[in-house]
Amino acid sequence: MVNLENQIFSSYQRNPVLFDEIFDERGQVKEVYSKLFNLYGEHSINDYVNLNEKAKSSFFNQGITFQVYDKKKTQEKIFPFDLFPRIIPPEEWKIIESGAIQRSRALNLFLWDIYHDKKIIKQGIVPMELISSSANYLDQMNNVDPPGGIYNHISGTDVIKHTDGQYYVLEDNIRCPSGVSYVICNRTALKRALFGVFNHYKTYSVTNYAENLLDLLETVKPKGVDVPNVVVITPGMFNSAFYEHSYLAKTMGVELVEGRDLFVENDFVYMKTIQGPQKVDVIYRRIDDAFIDPLEFRPDSSLGVPGLFAAYKKGNVTLANAPGTGVADDKAVYTYMPEIIRYYLNEEPILNNVHTYHCSRPKELKYVLNNIENLVIKPVDEAGGYGISIGNRLSKKEIEVVKAQILLSPRKYVAQPIMSLSVHPTYIDKSESFEQRHVDLRTFTVLGKDKEFVLKGGLTRVALKRGNLIVNSSQGGGSKDTWVLKT
Amino acid sequence: MLARVANNLFWMGRYIERSEHIARYLRVNYFSSLDAPNQLSQSRQFVLRSMLTMIGETVEDESLILNEEDVLYKIGLDPNYTSSIINNVRSSRENANSARDLISTELYESINKFYHFISNYDAKVYSKNGLHDFTLNVTEMSAILRGKVRSTLMHDEIYAIIMMGANIERATQIIRIINAKHNDALKAQGSYGDKFKNSFEWTTLLKCTESYDMMRRFYKKTPNSISTLEFLILNPDCPRSIMNSLNQVCKHIKILDSNKKPSRNSTAFLVGKIRAEYEFKCIVQIENDIQSVIDNTLSSLYQISQKMEEEFFSY
Amino acid sequence: MPLEYSITYKAENTYEEWVYEAYWQFLVIPEENESQQFIGVNFTNTINANNEFSINGHGFKTIRVHPKQKFNEIGFEANFKLIKKEINPFDFKPEEDISRSYEKIQELDFKVDYEAFLRTTHFTHIPEQKTPLFQFDLAKSIFDNIQKLNEYTYGYIHFNADATDVQTTLDEVLKIRQGVCQDFTHLFCALARMNGIPARYVSGYLHQGNGYFGDSQMHAWAEAFIPHVGWLGFDPTNNILAGTNHIKVAHGKDYSDCSPLKGVVYTAGKNETVHSVQVSSQNQQ
Repeated sequence: MVNLENQIFSSYQRNPVLFDEIFDERGQVKEVYSKLFNLYGEHSINDYVNLNEKAKSSFFNQGITFQVYDKKKTQEKIFPFDLFPRIIPPEEWKIIESGAIQRSRALNLFLWDIYHDKKIIKQGIVPMELISSSANYLDQMNNVDPPGGIYNHISGTDVIKHTDGQYYVLEDNIRCPSGVSYVICNRTALKRALFGVFNHYKTYSVTNYAENLLDLLETVKPKGVDVPNVVVITPGMFNSAFYEHSYLAKTMGVELVEGRDLFVENDFVYMKTIQGPQKVDVIYRRIDDAFIDPLEFRPDSSLGVPGLFAAYKKGNVTLANAPGTGVADDKAVYTYMPEIIRYYLNEEPILNNVHTYHCSRPKELKYVLNNIENLVIKPVDEAGGYGISIGNRLSKKEIEVVKAQILLSPRKYVAQPIMSLSVHPTYIDKSESFEQRHVDLRTFTVLGKDKEFVLKGGLTRVALKRGNLIVNSSQGGGSKDTWVLKT
Repeated sequence: MLARVANNLFWMGRYIERSEHIARYLRVNYFSSLDAPNQLSQSRQFVLRSMLTMIGETVEDESLILNEEDVLYKIGLDPNYTSSIINNVRSSRENANSARDLISTELYESINKFYHFISNYDAKVYSKNGLHDFTLNVTEMSAILRGKVRSTLMHDEIYAIIMMGANIERATQIIRIINAKHNDALKAQGSYGDKFKNSFEWTTLLKCTESYDMMRRFYKKTPNSISTLEFLILNPDCPRSIMNSLNQVCKHIKILDSNKKPSRNSTAFLVGKIRAEYEFKCIVQIENDIQSVIDNTLSSLYQISQKMEEEFFSY
Repeated sequence: MPLEYSITYKAENTYEEWVYEAYWQFLVIPEENESQQFIGVNFTNTINANNEFSINGHGFKTIRVHPKQKFNEIGFEANFKLIKKEINPFDFKPEEDISRSYEKIQELDFKVDYEAFLRTTHFTHIPEQKTPLFQFDLAKSIFDNIQKLNEYTYGYIHFNADATDVQTTLDEVLKIRQGVCQDFTHLFCALARMNGIPARYVSGYLHQGNGYFGDSQMHAWAEAFIPHVGWLGFDPTNNILAGTNHIKVAHGKDYSDCSPLKGVVYTAGKNETVHSVQVSSQNQQ
């Protein structure tokens, strides 16, 4: 317990085991946060409660909400937003940004390879199972050259800060990563509520995402198209990310379409406008692979466009991200990321991967068996968190059971050190005070032909339940404005 | 603009306009009946029936005793009644939602606020003693929306589609109000001269369409059936008249269809033809057969809407 | 002597309610390959909707139909003409060194290159058995083993056109031991793959003049990859090697890659579809 003069932090309890982003081990405010700490300290808790309410209603009136389906009726909810921003100093951002680009580029080369010559598998660097047992590997993409050579135009890289103060990547989301609109909304909301604090820091703007996205999408236009007609395709307004889809279309100044607005004729894609059909060249799709074309993939999909894949394969339309990209955002692929980066780029990984021990390798198996209490054991072929054992929560008996299981079929298991997410002071409604909460950071990278862009900012997600490490919004997570400081 | 989205914008315009007319009709009729000169006009049952007729739910059975709270709730806040005000506002918001990337943030935020206001309104308070407050807010928020449409959107195709919807709906609602009040006037006749012609209901009709003050300035006489109908149907300068709405529709269809000589099968051609019919209509024709003028107007407006659907919204 | 084939494929669809929008994709055009050439295609539908030729995700020619007016009845008719070279299925150089072939199928490069046709799919999944259904005799060549497998599959399933449908999976087929060409082919592919041999599902037409099994529908058989030889066709429904009577349309991992007709139809009520296929041939003069 640290006693602070600052009244809104007066009851802040610091758990010394956790990595607190604003207080150091001695309980002193870190330099980069000191101005912010003082500025917030000028407010009383009552002021703060008021500001918090205002911010909430601003989200509500702007319709930045998602729907929850209850038995009786549908309810609209806002994503909880915390008014205390997270700061990323320039030297740390440099690592994150260059690391995110490095990963996106490596993943793109990986995707090209596994849909063409498959050299990385033939040379034994990654196992064949990465494609043969992946539900997201599309045979239809074999030997297809996506326009501009790009598969993962848009990636969302989830990064955490561990107790060692270093950044680690937890996941690369390259299917339809969402959340970028909240980065911008959070900034707007914080400006509306506490514009004064911005005067004291030089923070990068986050509003340039859409223009960069549009620029990059135009670099991957199909051959022979001069000025491409770009659209965003959404599953529809009942999708929980619909706000984001409409936001992106609006800020890029392009049409937001649904599957039923498009049709394919002679392998070209058209949209149905009040002036008749108009050709579409680049589609930023927010629909999963399985649903994009009922004639090629799931026949029961009413979200997609019949014949779209044939048009794509012919090179008449660009899909971003490319179909089949999802194969690379697998847990199994993640564990090989350092090898993948070295193989294609001949560089050392800039961002840390959480180290993965493959029990199939005898040396690593030995380490795992001797250190179970410090490791998370995961089966390689299960998704959705099934069959995971967290070492420090197991009894001695249970450890023996897990050991026996691993020994029975070592190939089936991998192990990772137990990672702890850093904590950030977060205002908690219930206690009307700031408390430590775990945070992560989702960054947004856009890859075009010979061009790339990382949004200078990101979505800091907060696990609002005490001690909880799961930051997803579906699990009651909130978010914070994230400031990347200029040098 | 996508055909589907154009359709949604068209209906957004219609729903915004519709809620306002219903709300105003409720308020004006209810409150002017309180001190109406004629006993029948004062009767609560008479007023409730008139409200139901206006929204298209005429109660034929004269012996049925209507419950005031039930009727007000049904028209205002009943989520299970498709034509209620709350459902109109919900529909306008849903239509706005799907065209969110095309309309201004300001307009969207106002529609959204409107919706949250209505959906949070306490139904009990409303049907007991909130009628005035509720309906006044609905009309005022609708006016704000109209202002946002005019001042925060480019006056291009998107605007034209919304204005087409709003004006077709306005003309439709005005003619329905005329129909309901014409019905009332047949029943609650005046006390002197031509009793139908001088019914108190003509004054209420003008108030229901927010045209009473304008009309008084224009004619400087107590309204009767002829002057009222002439004003509300044929006067191009009255912003609530059928003529005025048709002029607006005509103006905006030209943004969507810029052909100088529109093809015979186009919406522009149909709109021009119908507009001309009203431009050269005289009140004597209307006076002779009010009911068929009402019916024909409704059917013409329906035809325009259908034609738009064919030409622009379906592919 | 080459044969000139004439094939007619017909489909009639009737709907209880009006259909306002529909898309169909036909995978029925004979593949152009070394033995199938000069393919003439004539495709019509009864409501004069536009027919578009395209290529599907697996690289095979398709015909797509997207009517723009409402209808409740539509018929399709495709007429194909082609020249089929006479095939002697045994006309290849047999494996000289049996062990070299078995080594080949163990190589990583081989497994990666033929990964798609070695993979277990929805229709080629065999539930775990106490004793393996079919095992290779490693003393014999791969070709001999595959021919044995062809015979085994033929003997295992009893042809019955009413026992199964297009949804039936192998666990059901293994229980009832009855089925049609599709079931024979799935079992054949599954067992070949279990033994490390790439196998693919083939759809096409069978000229039935010689009393072969099949019905007046499209036929299915398999192709297996014999190392150092190439892909060879096996028809386990008839216990023969695919030959001059087999006219190939497409291949894939299983039926779902090859289904002749895929459709997306927006309508309320029920519908009915009737297909028929006719194959006739004459010796080329």
